[in-house]
Amino acid sequence: MTSSSSAGVEVQLQGVRRVFDNNRVVIAGMDLGVDAGEFLAVLGPSGCGKSTLLRMIARLSEPDSGQIRIEPNGERFETAFVFQDAHLLPWRNVLANAALPLELMGVAKPQRNEKARAVLDQVGLLDALDRYPAELSGGMRMRVSLARALVTEPRLLLLDEPFAALDEITRFHLDVQLRELWQRRGMTVIFVTHSVSEAAFLANRAVVLARHGGAIKLDRRLELPPVRDIELRGDPRLGQEMRLLLGAIEG
Amino acid sequence: MKKTLLAPLIPFVLLTLIAEFLVRAGFVRAYLVPAPSAVLRAMIDSHAELLQALFATSVGSLAGFVMSALTGIAIAVLLSSSRGVQRAFYPYAIFFQTVPLIAVAPLLVIWFGFGIQTVIASAFVASVFPVIANTLSGILSTDPPLRDLFKLYGASPLVTLFKLRLPAALPQVFTGLRVSAGLAVIGAIVGEFIAGGGLGSVVETARTQQRIDKVFAAVLLASVLGLALFGLINLLSHLTLRRWHASEQ
Amino acid sequence: MLLHRVQRRAFLKTAPALALLAACSKSTTLKLALNWKPEPEFGGFYAATFSKHGLAVDILPGGSGTPTVQMIGAGSVDFGIVSADEIILARSHGNDVVALFAVFQDSPTGIMAHASRNLTSIGDVLMDGTLALESGLPFARLLKRKFGFSHVKIVPSPGGDITSFLHDEKFAQQCYLTSEPIAARRKGASVKVFAVSEIGYDPYTTVLAVSGESLRKNPDRAKATVAAVREGWQSYLADPKAVNQQMHQLNPTMDLDTFAEVAEVQKPFIETEATRRNGLGTMSRERWEALIAQFKELGDISQTIPAEECFRLL
Repeated sequence: MTSSSSAGVEVQLQGVRRVFDNNRVVIAGMDLGVDAGEFLAVLGPSGCGKSTLLRMIARLSEPDSGQIRIEPNGERFETAFVFQDAHLLPWRNVLANAALPLELMGVAKPQRNEKARAVLDQVGLLDALDRYPAELSGGMRMRVSLARALVTEPRLLLLDEPFAALDEITRFHLDVQLRELWQRRGMTVIFVTHSVSEAAFLANRAVVLARHGGAIKLDRRLELPPVRDIELRGDPRLGQEMRLLLGAIEG
Repeated sequence: MKKTLLAPLIPFVLLTLIAEFLVRAGFVRAYLVPAPSAVLRAMIDSHAELLQALFATSVGSLAGFVMSALTGIAIAVLLSSSRGVQRAFYPYAIFFQTVPLIAVAPLLVIWFGFGIQTVIASAFVASVFPVIANTLSGILSTDPPLRDLFKLYGASPLVTLFKLRLPAALPQVFTGLRVSAGLAVIGAIVGEFIAGGGLGSVVETARTQQRIDKVFAAVLLASVLGLALFGLINLLSHLTLRRWHASEQ
Repeated sequence: MLLHRVQRRAFLKTAPALALLAACSKSTTLKLALNWKPEPEFGGFYAATFSKHGLAVDILPGGSGTPTVQMIGAGSVDFGIVSADEIILARSHGNDVVALFAVFQDSPTGIMAHASRNLTSIGDVLMDGTLALESGLPFARLLKRKFGFSHVKIVPSPGGDITSFLHDEKFAQQCYLTSEPIAARRKGASVKVFAVSEIGYDPYTTVLAVSGESLRKNPDRAKATVAAVREGWQSYLADPKAVNQQMHQLNPTMDLDTFAEVAEVQKPFIETEATRRNGLGTMSRERWEALIAQFKELGDISQTIPAEECFRLL
């Protein structure tokens, strides 16, 4: 059941260029289009500019030239960001952390707490509402971070290697959970990752960036079934896509 | 809990016994270093005077410390507002740290007169800088991703200051307060040397009377005061940061 | 660490050389510690030609709170300048310090007040206003006993600084009659002074002292030192100009005119009938006994100490 407010946006990058202070050209004129409701994985070696790209799409930094358009152009709060570490506020409990975006947007306490409870339920943390981040495991913290991102019912969800610091089992579970959340809500997802297996498992489209300058070396629609579960881990088709992606990265 | 209280007491008891022996046996001259028993006797004989002095110094140092805490945090918040403001005014904050207090204290007397107001001023001057430095450092070192998060949802700089940067700075604020507490006691006593009252004047009077046992008694009480303030800050820190900071557990 | 700073500061004020670290200088240069900055009250020491008596002496200027009596006891200096009341207290605590030469036969300690208050005696100062005193000193306690402090506000002595005095008409302070009043008059204030000897308290002041142990080990050296000092004072009293110049270089805070004036004003304290009879720096048993009795009465010492042990005339 997708509610219309969670349907995705379209993202268009045209000629986007970003140069750092030391005159290093991080992204040299990128053109990229992301369809509404697409789950896009962005891959590439360290320093290739994938995080920079994500931050520009989130409007946390501006490109030096070129433009980034988001259609339809709603309120900016329709974008959510999940960082590499959970980055929760340690002095607030789980509920307050998840409700933070709504609080910053001026939503009254009863309403925002209700919404926060709903998303926390979706990530399976309903019985941890009173706990504080210091008491949680890494995986649980990341789930709170995810819930926080989803609490505003965003139409664009950006994730920057969110599960990189977690152990493999937790990572697998969170991958499945993320994919389910996406299927239920239908927002556009751009997922930056180092992990070829994760990109293949999660996305329906993957883009591989070159080592320097952000050139796109591969842009591929993955040929995998729409339902991604544990079974898929052993499916040869997954291995095939992974090989293709790896080849693009290394080549 | 018992272990943390007992452990420091052991060297103290040992040192006291050794000192007592050295003085009684004549290895150390009693008019240079008093025997612990003499210090104890001085404490008992002059307990009324010492307690009253301790109270006065406590009031002076506590008042100066509270002023430092409030002013220091406020100044740090102002300094954090922009790079330019920081560059222009931070060197003046450092002045509070580097100025020799014992040279400034006579000036404080001229400006504020003889009385507890000068003692408080002296305690303030001695203790304000660590609060400024640590608070500022805490505010400026907020996690960039968290700042991004607030920016993403359109939070104004003021909201970001009060809901993110100040709470995040609390551990460092407490670090600053811990350092500041002891300095406030020192500042109060230096102020008392010049302006009168409290343990400072007991030390000064006892010194001219060559009552070194009484000097030690007063100094010991001053140390206890510093320790008590320090302990108070630690307790506050523990209560406040208990649930959220890893180091507090 | 921070808490120990308080302890250390006070410790250093009263026991500068830990007894354990005290080392008597084995070299032949003797150390003479002053209890204040170089000023006319020490003129004779700077004027003395120690070399003529086979001695090499290093004069160490002091300041506010220099603990000379403890420095002598600890052995970190060979000679020091103290006052007779300090010697009595020290001896009662087991610090064997002996007086050799009393520069000031009468105590120049007094109280300085603004002339406009029209005070007539030392007791009047305690009726009103503020009085800066070193409340631990015997004369302060004698004043308290005699007149009570209930009508006056007692604050710490500013140690030679007259700023508070100049700013407040009702402010009076402890002073050296040869020092602060002159400085105050130069700043335009009109002052009235009261000598502490008015209340019958008159210890020898600016006294050259030595440790009893050192005196026993080197009686000739002490004798030679006293001889040199006596000659130095004779020379300084006759003509202080050259030595004033020397001291002014060491202590530029006092100008040469003030040096000259103070050197003149202090003469009646140094040259008295007693010194004309028995030589400069002389001391008598009667004077010491009187002072010891006063201390016993004040309760500062528990037992009378023998006056003849407090001083030695060489």
